[in-house]
Amino acid sequence: MSNAEKKNTQSYLERLKQQALSQENYGGAVKYDQANMQVYDCPECAAARAPADGLTVCAYCGFKFMTVELSDGIHIKKEN
Amino acid sequence: MFGFFKNKYDNPALLEEIRQTEEKWFVFMDKLETRLDELCAAAIPELIAVFNQDTDPYKRAHSRMLTGLIGQISQMQQKGMEAKETHIIPFMQASGSLLPDLMSSAGRKYHDRLYRFQMACFDRHHQFEDKVNEGIAALRSAKGNTDLEAVYQRQLREFERIKDSFNCKQCGGKMSIPKMFFIATYIQCPFCQSQNTYTPSTEIQMLFHQARSLAEQRTAHLLQDYENSRPKNPALYQQYLRAMFDEWNKITPDMVAENERFYQRLLKDHSINHY
Repeated sequence: MSNAEKKNTQSYLERLKQQALSQENYGGAVKYDQANMQVYDCPECAAARAPADGLTVCAYCGFKFMTVELSDGIHIKKEN
Repeated sequence: MFGFFKNKYDNPALLEEIRQTEEKWFVFMDKLETRLDELCAAAIPELIAVFNQDTDPYKRAHSRMLTGLIGQISQMQQKGMEAKETHIIPFMQASGSLLPDLMSSAGRKYHDRLYRFQMACFDRHHQFEDKVNEGIAALRSAKGNTDLEAVYQRQLREFERIKDSFNCKQCGGKMSIPKMFFIATYIQCPFCQSQNTYTPSTEIQMLFHQARSLAEQRTAHLLQDYENSRPKNPALYQQYLRAMFDEWNKITPDMVAENERFYQRLLKDHSINHY
């Protein structure tokens, strides 16, 4: 391969590299969040949810936190 | 008996044309192959450099560059295919139609020559296609090494540091995270029984998706043993797969049942002979 062709390959690779590095990632840069703890209070009476009373309905005022029916998952079971 | 078969077909111009076409085809394939080799050889260090430079955890810049290179190689492949379809196959058909009947001995020499030409050109094209596949495989495997074990150990230390530093958002009581969770999980406050939602850090959540790669890194030597065995020993593969899944399960114990099903499927897939 001639020197001119080698140069072409090198310049093509350089352009490709620059394009690959400069193109913005879909959805932007990844955001790194720290571990955190949250609680979801009842918006009607501010009572907290407890597993003993069920996770889908407020034990005090009957507000429905979620309308879906729970199924068995890794950490949540349908009886919750 | 009428002397028909004694009239040998003679066309030296065709022989010369076959020779020239074959020669041109070989030169064309050589040139294409040289360009392919040159591109792959120059691209591999650049790909590794981009992998190391890329700060994105999913290495998307590396993927973009790899896709661009594979596209470039596919164009070369396409060029070879087009040249075969526009120059070699039509030439073969046109030349074959000029020759006397294949069953007669008159054109036997020419039929044989044309057949040799076809085989030589097609074999050369197959060689090129093999090179293309080797080149693509080499590009795909050209990436820097991410030490997942170090990342995992760092996250384990980080978890040990933070696991007792949370308070219940309802009553403020001290809470402890019982084990390393990779996804958002309900944790019950031991004082007021409120259901708190613990969301692990982004890096720990990512670790969940890297668990298999980490397990593969830990058991790579077993896979290597299997790859090096001649003939390939299925018992070694089974040994590797079991060890890999055991490691995977150690990293993500909550996924044991799902992983086990996947293990059984991989084992079954591997025992099927594909022809």
